[in-house]
Amino acid sequence: MENQQPSRRLFILSLIIGMLIGILVVRLWQVQVLQGASYLRQSEDNRIRDYTLAAPRGIIYDRKGRPLVSNRPAFTVAVLPLELRNPAIVIPRLAPILAMAPDEITTRIVSNRPRLFEPVRIKRDVGPNVVAMIEENRLDLPGVIILPEPVRYYLHGKMAAHVLGYLGEVDPDELAARQVEGYKPGDLIGKAGAERAYETVLRGIDGRLRMEVDALGRPLRVLSRLPAIPGRAIVLTLDLDVQKAAYDALVASGMQAGAAMAMDPRSGDILAMASIPSYDPNLFAIGISPKAWQAITTDRRKPLLNRAIAATYEPGSVFKLVTATAALEHGIVTRQTMFDAPGYFQLGQWTFGDLRAWGRIDFITGIANSVNVVFYTLGYRLGGEELAKYALMMGLGELTGVDLPGEINGTIPSPSTKEQLVGEPWYPGDSVNMSIGQGAITVTPIQVVRMLGGIATGGQLMQPRILLMTYDRNRSQHRADPFLQRIVPFQASTLAVLREGMRAVVERGSGLGARIPGLPMAGKTGSAENPRGKPHAWFAGYAPVGEPRIVVVAFVEHGFRGGISAAPVARAVLHAVFPQPADVEVPR
Amino acid sequence: MSRRLLRYLDWPVLVATLILVVGGAVVLYSAVQNSGDASTLVRARILHAVMGLVVLALMAFIDYQTIARAWRPILGTTLFLLVVVLIIGRSSMGAQRWIALGPLGGFQPSELAKLALIITLAKHLDGHKELTSWRDILPVLIQAAVPIALVIRQPDLGTSMVLAAIAAVMLFAGGAPLGALGAMGAGAAVVAPMAWRILHEYQRRRLLVFIDPGADPLGAGYALIQSKIAVGSGQVFGKGLLHGTQNLLHFIPEQHTDFVFTVIGEELGFVGAALMIGLFVLWLWRGMAIAAQAKDRLGMLMAVGAVGMIAFHLFINVGMTVGLTPITGIPLPFISHGGSALVAMMGATGLLLNVGMRRKKILF
Repeated sequence: MENQQPSRRLFILSLIIGMLIGILVVRLWQVQVLQGASYLRQSEDNRIRDYTLAAPRGIIYDRKGRPLVSNRPAFTVAVLPLELRNPAIVIPRLAPILAMAPDEITTRIVSNRPRLFEPVRIKRDVGPNVVAMIEENRLDLPGVIILPEPVRYYLHGKMAAHVLGYLGEVDPDELAARQVEGYKPGDLIGKAGAERAYETVLRGIDGRLRMEVDALGRPLRVLSRLPAIPGRAIVLTLDLDVQKAAYDALVASGMQAGAAMAMDPRSGDILAMASIPSYDPNLFAIGISPKAWQAITTDRRKPLLNRAIAATYEPGSVFKLVTATAALEHGIVTRQTMFDAPGYFQLGQWTFGDLRAWGRIDFITGIANSVNVVFYTLGYRLGGEELAKYALMMGLGELTGVDLPGEINGTIPSPSTKEQLVGEPWYPGDSVNMSIGQGAITVTPIQVVRMLGGIATGGQLMQPRILLMTYDRNRSQHRADPFLQRIVPFQASTLAVLREGMRAVVERGSGLGARIPGLPMAGKTGSAENPRGKPHAWFAGYAPVGEPRIVVVAFVEHGFRGGISAAPVARAVLHAVFPQPADVEVPR
Repeated sequence: MSRRLLRYLDWPVLVATLILVVGGAVVLYSAVQNSGDASTLVRARILHAVMGLVVLALMAFIDYQTIARAWRPILGTTLFLLVVVLIIGRSSMGAQRWIALGPLGGFQPSELAKLALIITLAKHLDGHKELTSWRDILPVLIQAAVPIALVIRQPDLGTSMVLAAIAAVMLFAGGAPLGALGAMGAGAAVVAPMAWRILHEYQRRRLLVFIDPGADPLGAGYALIQSKIAVGSGQVFGKGLLHGTQNLLHFIPEQHTDFVFTVIGEELGFVGAALMIGLFVLWLWRGMAIAAQAKDRLGMLMAVGAVGMIAFHLFINVGMTVGLTPITGIPLPFISHGGSALVAMMGATGLLLNVGMRRKKILF
């Protein structure tokens, strides 16, 4: 008994030990042999970290090869969610270094939740102090990394903001649409202007650096490297000098809002497109802070709006060019036709006003001094349908097709559309009103530019364009071809009268303020009555007469009189194009 | 005399032990190869192995009866050191486990306690041939409970579990009634919540994570997940000695101490792990045989205590790397870094050989 029991118990003990070891072996078989492949993959995921090598965006040049937008080296602070072991401790440590709120950091990380292996960018373009502080405290900031990433640099800030556009982080909708193109959350994408229009050209292809890292996420060695392919450079039709003149003149006008454009009517090349108020696209280049974004989007002056293409206004007296054209083409007026301009136009019980009484004048003087009564008379005789037809024919009220995003088309009212849309009949008074560019009619400044181009060139409507050429990866040039949209069938006699009248505007009429001694130019002023305040001021012109090389349109919101506030802007632009007008040879 | 002893020396146990120590040293080198103080650690391991051999020889050749007779100084010294370590001990991971020994590094009295418990408990149980009444069992329990309580106080949950396991195995082998063993188990279950309070936060988290490893994948569950990845990724043949990526890149915390098995699993694969377990099985099987053939009850109890200790270590340590057992800091015998543990394990081996050499003459 005494001997038997211990040996039986030893046997039981052996069985228990044997069983436990059996369990161990079975478990090891399960983990190593059955699930081994899966664990091997996990161990690879563990040690391999892919870093994105950000491809620099293509540089944007002006037509003379001067850079407008380039890239500068900078550092981005990012977080690897998988290695952020202790967010509750690390984030409050990181926040003061970046001068951000901890919540802001948490929000950015959470919004990127499903992609644990991708770095989440917290702050772009941090200064050398921040980089140094993070490097020094690396051990206290596990999961925080610094990525070298170029930052977009707009050399001239606000000056050409609307044409050039800006970058922003790709938003969820865009991401869904463009994922196949390789966009990832947090990537920057062109949001406006040329940056957006030529996104696919400018954007490079990110490279990849595959690194082996240790348990603390410290890179140990490079396993493979796929170099980044930089984006292609583009050359815009802009001329930096003209652009600068246009922007500076707008700002110098002292007015709140406006736009100025210069275009070569022979090619459609836009030499300048300025809009105020402007903004600094550099703010967006580093991922704009929610507060700054809020401030810009809720600003009632709408600084993001490109007023040259994306805002419509009553054309005012600039529209008299359409009325004049229609009347000349119909033969109801000639150069010599005389008008009585008593300072008002009576239509039944309604009286339409004029600036003053002009007495008996000829048609050229009517154009030169923008005499309302002359155009009331013509518009009344032509009727709304004809005015609308000529407006559309000359390119108003439709998209010009400029290669910039956000263009809108405005409205050209006509008897037929008015009845359709408003349900009211077209009154003769509507035609009278429309003849001087008032009423429901609205256009964009760029439409006026194209229309002036048509008058200047004898009818050619060139599609306005911002892109001159692109470079490919081997630095060879690919020129964009000018595009002739259509030819407005002006009669030669019509053009002759129009041009003579427009010259008179600048030589002795309402557009004197645009005059540059020695430069033969043609133009038309406009003061557009509008329900929101003082009249908008317009000046539209071209130079040199006879061999037109430039169309210029200046527009100032609530500038009161085109000749007073818009013409000097146009003059400044022209001066930039023709610094020494005496040298400009013009056949008379 | 000594020739007769050598004739009965259990070579398989000795050879298995030596292979485990030498092979273990190689694995240990792999675990620390790029840690900066690899050479220091390797030199320490060689020194400890030599010390272990000396202790092994002493424990083998001094008659175990003689050793058992010295149980009073052995127990007294152990308890004294366990109290001392609580007062002046050096901290590691929040627990006081070490007594600084200057150039020799640190000494861990709780390792000595394992060996001491085997000797003193064997002696004690030997005195009570019949463990039928509580009056026989209670003194034995108290004698085991005091060191266990002192170790828990450090707090060192793993070692106290080892001590409890040694006591349980020896009581079982010593013939304690199953009812009494059951009551003790129930008693332990009652005391457990009290121990929970003593534990450090990290120790509690480790236990909770065992129940739900996904609960905190980057915190407490991290070690478990990474050690499973390491062992599993070794697959059948391993990534090759010195070439485990999880090991080299330090994904596993404590990879040269408690988690040293992950290096074997990753670099030597299932084959290497099975080979290691095979050596332990040989050791344990011979150990049980020695227990069964022991000359007397004292020898049988000592051998069972040693077998129980090694088996428990093996199961808990390997088990925790593959999510089978909770993560408690107990070393893999003969292999994990740590001199006190190595010397204690080799001492236990010596004790086992001691019993084997002095077995009765009936062979198989």
